[in-house]
Amino acid sequence: MTARFTKFGFDEKERFMLFLIAPAGIVLVCFEIIPILIGMNASFREWSLVNPQRTWVGPKQYIAVFTDPVFLKMVLPNTFVLMILSVGVSLALGLALASLLNRPFFGRAIMRTIILLPLTIAPVITATMMRWSFNDQFGVITIFLSCLGLPDVAWLSDRWPSFALVIMTDIWIWTPWFTIILLAAMQGLPPEPFEAARIDAASPWCIFRRVTLPMLRPVIIVCVLIRAIDAFRTFDQVWILTGGGPARSTEVFSVYAYVLAFVDLDIGRAAAAAGIGALIMLFVGIGLYGLVNRSMEVSR
Amino acid sequence: MTSIRPASGVFYIWRGTNFTLNNFVEVLHQSQVVQAMWNSFVLSTLATILSLGITVGSGYMLSRFGGWIQRSWFATIYIFRTVPYISWVLPLYLVNTRLGIYDTYVGLLLPHIAVHVCFFSWLMKGFFDGINPSMEYAALIDGCTRWGAFYRVALPAAMPGIAALAILCWLSTWNEFLFALILSGKRTPLITSTMAQFVTETGTEWNLMSATAVLAMMPALLVTIFGQKYVIRGLRM
Repeated sequence: MTARFTKFGFDEKERFMLFLIAPAGIVLVCFEIIPILIGMNASFREWSLVNPQRTWVGPKQYIAVFTDPVFLKMVLPNTFVLMILSVGVSLALGLALASLLNRPFFGRAIMRTIILLPLTIAPVITATMMRWSFNDQFGVITIFLSCLGLPDVAWLSDRWPSFALVIMTDIWIWTPWFTIILLAAMQGLPPEPFEAARIDAASPWCIFRRVTLPMLRPVIIVCVLIRAIDAFRTFDQVWILTGGGPARSTEVFSVYAYVLAFVDLDIGRAAAAAGIGALIMLFVGIGLYGLVNRSMEVSR
Repeated sequence: MTSIRPASGVFYIWRGTNFTLNNFVEVLHQSQVVQAMWNSFVLSTLATILSLGITVGSGYMLSRFGGWIQRSWFATIYIFRTVPYISWVLPLYLVNTRLGIYDTYVGLLLPHIAVHVCFFSWLMKGFFDGINPSMEYAALIDGCTRWGAFYRVALPAAMPGIAALAILCWLSTWNEFLFALILSGKRTPLITSTMAQFVTETGTEWNLMSATAVLAMMPALLVTIFGQKYVIRGLRM
């Protein structure tokens, strides 16, 4: 290309590039970057919806969040436990389902539709259905379990059962996503290594572990990356299922910030909490990205 | 299932023999539910059209060009994708109230588009990566402008991918809850936040809520049954 420099200092190609991203960039700046900046500003102030005096208080709000026992003992561990368990278990289940679906059998198309369903239904709806089915007195699943002779569990009124329920719901929603992507990846794999392994009389499990998994590695890593980022901001399921309760014991990070802002009406504190979350995620995200890049180079 | 039971029969698990469609009728008579569904529908459709229109160019740029502009734009997109929604929806609530667009279509639409910018630019890049650029080079040599090569050659080739993304985009806006909860109020209720109200207000009306849930699930069901080919392609990146 001829580098025709204009008065702006961009050549024709660069101007075209900027033109292509301009609309996206403008929306991003106006409705994402500016709010984030406002949020950062608010996090250094004593700002509440009931008291509109916005005094500058420095990092006090951050200290308040960091010394809040609920944040340290409940919110952070919950968020990370949810993230790790949800991503881990749905990855494992997704792998299993994808391997099952990878061979032709009768009714495969129907199976695929059924598997896709949880993904397209709103998390809010899934969570309400879960809440209803696990209702203490008349939930379908509660009654089914007690019919099997299992002890009654107060699903939504104890910490661990309700948190387990939250994680289960999240796994239920996201397993299909892993399944479909992994299935697509499996079907794109070349057949030769599998034939070679079969000739060498490798067991199916051995083929799966030594041939399939290494070849799927790049896909798996990208999936985990995307899911981990999304799992950190889980809100819908937790809010509908438990509302962070009982006694704030299942609050995750998004719920914590939401409660601060719209229940306690303390915008400053909420912005600080949100800022801390964003920072944590920024580091996790950059770290994971580095990991992805490295593993991609290895696999190529 | 609960949606077709009368209110009196909701709590009987085993003896649910009397079914009724009255719940649907009752739900559809509540103007707020109908309004919420209509709002959600309009919002999802507009958000889909606009955000695809915006991201298609940015995805094309990410895929076809290099250099510092491309690299810094990619980094921006990646970084803002990691920011949790709550971190910018909170201040966005303040912005919207200040600008006077809180609880209006515009106030809901623009943030939804902003959400899609990062992720869909990324997915679009994937689609354009999968298309051989030699046709565009040929077009350029034949005297087509860059804009023409993008608009007349690359865009039609990417149409299947864009259709897939459109479905995903529509569904995710329809299903979105956090934004609906924070940024919408009485004037422009959305279907997901309306549903949540059945739960949190005094005494859950399970039968009505289930009917609403079934109605809200309809698009998802239809898409899954008829458009699953496209959804799957859209998910594949």
